[in-house]
Amino acid sequence: MATQTLSRPQQDQTVDQKIQELRQLYADSPVGKTALENSIPALREKLAKGLRSNESAGRVGLRQGKVSELTLIFKFVPGGAKRLRALLQVMGANFGTEKVATVHDQRFVFLDNDTKLLFATAYDGDSWDTYLDEFATKIPDELDMLFSELEEFPGFRDPSVKDWIAKYQIPAENWYVAHPDLTVRDIRRLKRIGKAAEEFLDKIG
Amino acid sequence: MFSIEKPVGDTVSTHSPALETSDIQATVLRPRPSPYCGEYVILRIGDAAQGREMLRRMLPHVAPADEWWVPSLPGWLGISFTFEGLKALGVPQASLDSFPIEFRQGMAARAETLHDFGANAPANWEHPFGTAEAHVALAIYAKSERDLQKVLDLARKSHADLQQISVVYRMQFGELPDGRNPFGFKDGLHNPHVEGSSPAGAGTEASIKAGEFVMGYPDERGETADVPIPVELRRNGTFVAIRKFHMDVAAFRRYLRDQASSPEEEELIAAKMVGRWRSGAPLVLAPDRDDPALGADGNRNNDFGYADDMKGLKCPFSAHIRRVNPRDALKDDVVAVNLHHFLRRGTNYGPPLPEGVLEDDGAERGGVFLLIGAHLHRQFEFIQSQWVTDGNFISHGTEQDPLIGNNEGDGVFTIPRVPVRRRLHGLPSFVAVRGGEYAFMPGLRALRWISNLGR
Repeated sequence: MATQTLSRPQQDQTVDQKIQELRQLYADSPVGKTALENSIPALREKLAKGLRSNESAGRVGLRQGKVSELTLIFKFVPGGAKRLRALLQVMGANFGTEKVATVHDQRFVFLDNDTKLLFATAYDGDSWDTYLDEFATKIPDELDMLFSELEEFPGFRDPSVKDWIAKYQIPAENWYVAHPDLTVRDIRRLKRIGKAAEEFLDKIG
Repeated sequence: MFSIEKPVGDTVSTHSPALETSDIQATVLRPRPSPYCGEYVILRIGDAAQGREMLRRMLPHVAPADEWWVPSLPGWLGISFTFEGLKALGVPQASLDSFPIEFRQGMAARAETLHDFGANAPANWEHPFGTAEAHVALAIYAKSERDLQKVLDLARKSHADLQQISVVYRMQFGELPDGRNPFGFKDGLHNPHVEGSSPAGAGTEASIKAGEFVMGYPDERGETADVPIPVELRRNGTFVAIRKFHMDVAAFRRYLRDQASSPEEEELIAAKMVGRWRSGAPLVLAPDRDDPALGADGNRNNDFGYADDMKGLKCPFSAHIRRVNPRDALKDDVVAVNLHHFLRRGTNYGPPLPEGVLEDDGAERGGVFLLIGAHLHRQFEFIQSQWVTDGNFISHGTEQDPLIGNNEGDGVFTIPRVPVRRRLHGLPSFVAVRGGEYAFMPGLRALRWISNLGR
């Protein structure tokens, strides 16, 4: 019994038990209650098949197959939001992240009247700190520029940057990935192959 | 006793201080002799005071890197400790707690990161690997069997009357004919050059900062290690990932036979898997056929890069040596290759499988590797998890190292060719992990510091 994990009892719950629990919780939600009842047949079918679940990525965060998520909320330093907004407008979508080849997407959202930043990204691998040393060594200025306007930022050349990130990281409660089995590099390769195959078919067709 | 505060302001400088080779163990910086024989011994310490007494007696025989092959010595002794071993010696809790997490957990607990699944899982390892019984790992090298016995005697005498010290593992190793590994390849040809350790070797390869391999010096990031504490314990010390591999030579030969239509093609496929021909000649310099003169020439057989082979037409991206040591192959990627080296001290064990034999004779044979570096996580663990047991870094999906990957019968191996690549399927595992440990290999003064604990 000592090896039993916290999530174990839930896994042992039957589909009916899970649905019953949801019904009780949603009983107080007028719109949600009806929507849930209408959705239960489809939900029951999916649960019975066994859904894919989120795994943990490194210290914090969720992983789906080969892809992981990183969600951070920081406080801006005074004047930081203004500077970062100006920088992001100049940069547009030109982040040079293509070179990194492990980043699927990244977003910067300014919260609470420009006092906080939400940064969210999806990346390949099971832990961001595996590759953080590379970034810190190869592109520290690019990263420092983006994160310098945040409180307590030590700079990417400082090894304590890992602890700084972990401190402000918030694991997603749930996260969906269309293709958990494809890395950015896999996608590039498949695009190349697809293009070659289309050209081939065009020629023989 | 000792102060536990972290030293403030370990200097970061661009030039490295001179290496204290008289304090660093020979095993870290010096290649083993050739020909060689030797023995690995693992000890269990049941009593801290007896463990420290043994250490005091053994100390004069531990070889430093400066007098590494003094003719008067019959051989050399290297000594290292697992986390359990340091505990058993009574190293203070504050010191123990300051070690990096991967070392505290031990290699067996890192199985998921290291891809040690299936036949390679710690549950299948030889005793005492991966258990709390493995405390002290000794590596003893000698030029002859007689010399080896002399050093073994010295080691034995250091604990013969200490009831709480027990030998829990012994294995002999020795050179195979022509200095080849059991698969029939000349190996152990390359190691990074440690700045300040000796004159740089021939070739164009740059030296790597000493702090990557020995604590107490700046590393490639300009940092000097500040753990474990105190400085007396870490200075001139390093970490060793010990890996024992059984090599299924018959399976390797059968696979080549099945994939090839001629003996020449067998040799080519084998070379494509390794990245070198059997003689040691690298594919990049000898793409079409073996060149034994090149293989034997230490000035030339490492003087190459992949800049002229960025399509992998000479040496496949997936070839063993291109994976574990990509040299300049990843120069266009955001990868700091110099953060991912280790010093590799390999030895072979077991009888060779006679030429031409395709059926396994049941004999245990293979290699034991001491993979040495100051940062287990970003060196050994990174190389094993990102470069050996995955293929994403070379856009090869989940393809693993064809030679030492954990392929379990469904592995693939991609050989770039014009006009279309060739892909081999159904690769089995040619090696099986028989055991492994993470060990701390202290400097000589640190050994004395440990032996004097509790006094």
